[in-house]
Amino acid sequence: MPASRVATVVAVVATIGGSLLLGDVKLSILVGVIVTAIAALGLDVLVARTGELSLAHAAFLGVGAFTAINVGSRGAPWPVAILVAVATTAAAATIAGLPSLRIHGLQVAITTLAFQEFADVFLFTRTDVTAAGRTWERPAFLRTDVRLYLFALSLLTLVLIVRHRVAVTKAGRTFLAVRDIEDRARVFGVEPGPSKLLAYAISGAIVGLGGSLFALKAGSISAKDPFLLLESLQLVAILVVGGTGSAAGIVTASVLVKGLPQFISTIPFTHLKPDRIVPITSAGLLVVAVVAAPEGIGGVYRAAGRLLDRLTGARRRERPEPRPHVVEAGADGATMLPHVERPLSLRMPVPALLEAHDVRVEYGGVTALDGVSLEVRRGEIVGLIGANGAGKSTFFNAVSGLAPASGSIRFRGVELVGRRASIRSALGTSRTFQDLGLVRAESVQENVLLAQTWLARYAAPVGILGLGGTVRTERELRKRGAIALEVFGLDHLARERVGALPYGTMRIVEIAAAVAAGPDLLLLDEATAGLGPEESHELGDRFLAIRDELGLTLVIVEHHVPLVARVCDYAYCLESGVLIAEGKPLDVTADPRVVESFLGRAGTASSGADR
Amino acid sequence: MSGAPLETLLAVEHLCSGYGSLQVLFNVDLDVRAGEVVALMGSNGAGKTTTLRAITGQLRKTAGTVRFAGVDVTRERTEALVARGISVVPEGRGMLRDLTVAENLEVGGYAMRDRRALIEATDRAYTSFPILGERRDQKAGRLSGGQQQMLAVARALMSNPQLLLVDEASLGLSPVMTETVFALIADVRRTSGTAVLLVEQNAGALDLADRAFVLEKGQVVDRAAGAEMRAMQRRLRDAYLGRREAE
Amino acid sequence: MLARIITGLSAGAAYALVAVGVVLIFKCTRVLSIAQGEIGAFGFFIGLRWAARGIPGLGWHPARFTTLVIAVVVGAVLGGLIERIVIRPLVDRPPLDALIATLGIALFLALLEKELFGTATQFAPSPVGEWKVTVLGATLIAPRIVALAAAAAVALAVFLFFSRTRFGLAVRATTGDSTVAQLMGVRVNRVYRFAWVTAGALAGLAAALLGPAFGGLTPFAMTSFSLRALAGAVIGGLDSIWGAIVGSLLVGVLEAVVGGQFTTPGTAELAVLLLVIGTLVARPQGLLGTEGAT
Repeated sequence: MPASRVATVVAVVATIGGSLLLGDVKLSILVGVIVTAIAALGLDVLVARTGELSLAHAAFLGVGAFTAINVGSRGAPWPVAILVAVATTAAAATIAGLPSLRIHGLQVAITTLAFQEFADVFLFTRTDVTAAGRTWERPAFLRTDVRLYLFALSLLTLVLIVRHRVAVTKAGRTFLAVRDIEDRARVFGVEPGPSKLLAYAISGAIVGLGGSLFALKAGSISAKDPFLLLESLQLVAILVVGGTGSAAGIVTASVLVKGLPQFISTIPFTHLKPDRIVPITSAGLLVVAVVAAPEGIGGVYRAAGRLLDRLTGARRRERPEPRPHVVEAGADGATMLPHVERPLSLRMPVPALLEAHDVRVEYGGVTALDGVSLEVRRGEIVGLIGANGAGKSTFFNAVSGLAPASGSIRFRGVELVGRRASIRSALGTSRTFQDLGLVRAESVQENVLLAQTWLARYAAPVGILGLGGTVRTERELRKRGAIALEVFGLDHLARERVGALPYGTMRIVEIAAAVAAGPDLLLLDEATAGLGPEESHELGDRFLAIRDELGLTLVIVEHHVPLVARVCDYAYCLESGVLIAEGKPLDVTADPRVVESFLGRAGTASSGADR
Repeated sequence: MSGAPLETLLAVEHLCSGYGSLQVLFNVDLDVRAGEVVALMGSNGAGKTTTLRAITGQLRKTAGTVRFAGVDVTRERTEALVARGISVVPEGRGMLRDLTVAENLEVGGYAMRDRRALIEATDRAYTSFPILGERRDQKAGRLSGGQQQMLAVARALMSNPQLLLVDEASLGLSPVMTETVFALIADVRRTSGTAVLLVEQNAGALDLADRAFVLEKGQVVDRAAGAEMRAMQRRLRDAYLGRREAE
Repeated sequence: MLARIITGLSAGAAYALVAVGVVLIFKCTRVLSIAQGEIGAFGFFIGLRWAARGIPGLGWHPARFTTLVIAVVVGAVLGGLIERIVIRPLVDRPPLDALIATLGIALFLALLEKELFGTATQFAPSPVGEWKVTVLGATLIAPRIVALAAAAAVALAVFLFFSRTRFGLAVRATTGDSTVAQLMGVRVNRVYRFAWVTAGALAGLAAALLGPAFGGLTPFAMTSFSLRALAGAVIGGLDSIWGAIVGSLLVGVLEAVVGGQFTTPGTAELAVLLLVIGTLVARPQGLLGTEGAT
């Protein structure tokens, strides 16, 4: 176990143990802190995982608290009251999240601001909503402050477990993918819309739990301050100061911002006015944190953990490069992808794997593809060349469903045109992107898992709860991913953050992820872009190995034509959305129209002079 | 034209640059002398535009120097270059689409404080490009691709530059239009003596260039001048399309 | 009804002053500032503290006018400082970071106001006199009239600035394509500073007029005013100055009309909220905004 983890456990145990020695008054303060921490952790699920900001989380906290009191005070058992509160808040948050299906970022933030304002002036001014005059009696086993505190701690633990489950299952991965590479993620089988709404629902459910705890502690609510706009802003402050994505940082920030002022005021003879100093300081800190320390307190913790591990030697620096050649897929690899006997250099008399007929793509009046027909046969490496803007990537988009195409694209005899992008990976296509379809903030391993989303055939909420064999499915996917990484010589980098790797390595990671998804057909878009000459050459060897050893069929879009000549069995050349040549690579590159397309008229003139 | 020793206007030495962890340029050396047209050739992704961005200070240079007219401008801010005499026709033409043709030209002459000089320069632009004069009040975004390219060149010439940097003028233009634009640039050099650095994929640029550099994977892999240009065209074809074994 | 529309327009005009600033900042720096209200209010409170009290018996005293001047100056200075210290370092970061930063600034300024000036409503004598005008059944007090006039003046000034001045052209070039503007010699940092300073001054002006018109200001009160301005800017289109003015007037009128029809508290806010969300979902770029600009 790394020293940083030992230190974390010791610190948590000591903090909880120590806190139990405090008197009742202080424990009661701590319960309030935990309410805030839970709300901030719920907000963090949204902010850290989907990148959307909510300025309405205090309102959601209110929805939870008022619902719990309304239900609890009418005699429902406490678990029912809490469950209803959680469900209601989750529903409210999902509704507030609906606009995010259409709009993004700043605009979503504004709609949540509007939602908070609506709650402030409309919802929370109604006495039937706020359960005015009603009291929810605490259940007998929670009558003392120590017990309530322990109960609050167990709810906090539950929230941390849920966050962890979100992180390690399909839900969390798809959230991040939608955040960073929304459109591209669809080719992995991700459905952006439901994924976003689920994030709002989970975030709301967690806040609803916090609201229930608030209601349990208070019994009845007269002042609605904790649920107003100012408090929403305060939650954002806690989140940013604590550091998005860091549970430890957020809990610490909650203690500092919410607990500290009240603790100080319990000290006798103090002249400090912490309830006035702390909010203004936290607002100031928020600005400082955004500008100067975007990782917040969590960043400090992480840095300390890394330092501790380095000092105790638990962490080695790996060379951030893949081992040079594709390892032959062994017994495990063979179970992953059937080994097909081939190498071929002629166009084989085998049926086409992919048949495109008269494919057209138009973007707002511009025709990007104008009736392209081509075919790819099983076991081939097919090159797609052409100058900038010729329509090569558009063709890939048409195949993978990211561009609206007409005509016919049949894959293994199945018509793809008109089908959603998210199911094409299930049919057996997989692809990479010119500008990388990777979530850079995540580890290599997580990215490989993301590419296998279509294989994670369970509902995301079920996965969070760990029901119905999802744990086993995840274990299998991880194993699959590990094999893919091993095949590409990347296993030593599994835990590295993708964004920290050299560009060339990221390219290989993306290809490994695409292969892990188990496709028959792999579309590689400018895989050598940004690579040096040696790296490009090596990548060519990998293309051959993917075909020969893993039995995949490849289509590569490539600017570096010599590479196409070296590895491809067949090549097509596009110009302005039209196919201008096809054949064996050397014939295609000698075609005068291709030469002109690449070099302009001068190029053809000079080649004419040569002969 | 290559015989006479001309004054070196732009000298780029050991230039390295890139985006984040991605290094794109590796020790790029090139130079442009007063009054000549130099072509910087390369296929897509070779680093041509990156070279231009690094020279103009839009991208951080991780190593190397850039000197202009004998002055070190390696750390010069982008905004200050135009006053030194470097003007740019940006990639994709850089139209300010919501501004009229006349306003685009005025922005081109922004560095000139003298109102009269600005008016003269505008008149000059309309004389050289009558079509722009006819459409002076039209929004730039509504011009055709070729007209936009003209406007981009005319706008860059507003500040009377000593050196014009042209980024992929042929991109997205039909072959005929491309030739027209190249002819236009040849004209510019002939009439105003402005040196031009043409960053191009289209080998047509070699026909009007005095010298040329070829960029591949972020490195200068070839250079030629005068009589060698012909041979370079052949080599360039090989670089783009692969070397053909003994045909 | 007509009277309510006119009252609404006068409130909307004050929102428009803030909204124009919001749009200016957004157009130039791609930052959505929700601190504009508090920037203005801070100027207003400082102005109140420093301005001499008017002489009894006279409707208007020049000294009161200094409230307005100080509010404008403080707003402008604050805007400039925020641009330099907070916004510029955030240039290459995700847009939400800058939004969160302005949120922190709003919170900080509001709490600072609370510390410095207390939580009681600060009654503000009108900086522009105590006269009234009755138009079509609506009686408007001086600050509301001036707000309308100021909004019209700002609209005119904006028009002239952008169409007639060299710097106005530089701003338009920068908002069109900041890289191209830079290549042509425009010092874009100056454009960014200009946007924040102008927006700060407009916020100060709005606060100085709104304070008296709404019977005084408390800390945080401006936040809810600036939310309305924000709503106006969003409805009109975040990258359109004219949109901001139209949107703000719409918000003001809607609020006055709905607030007059229904007595349930919050109905007016609900109407504005629905208008904002409806606009965003049906036409994300706003009424007069450019598609894909936000």
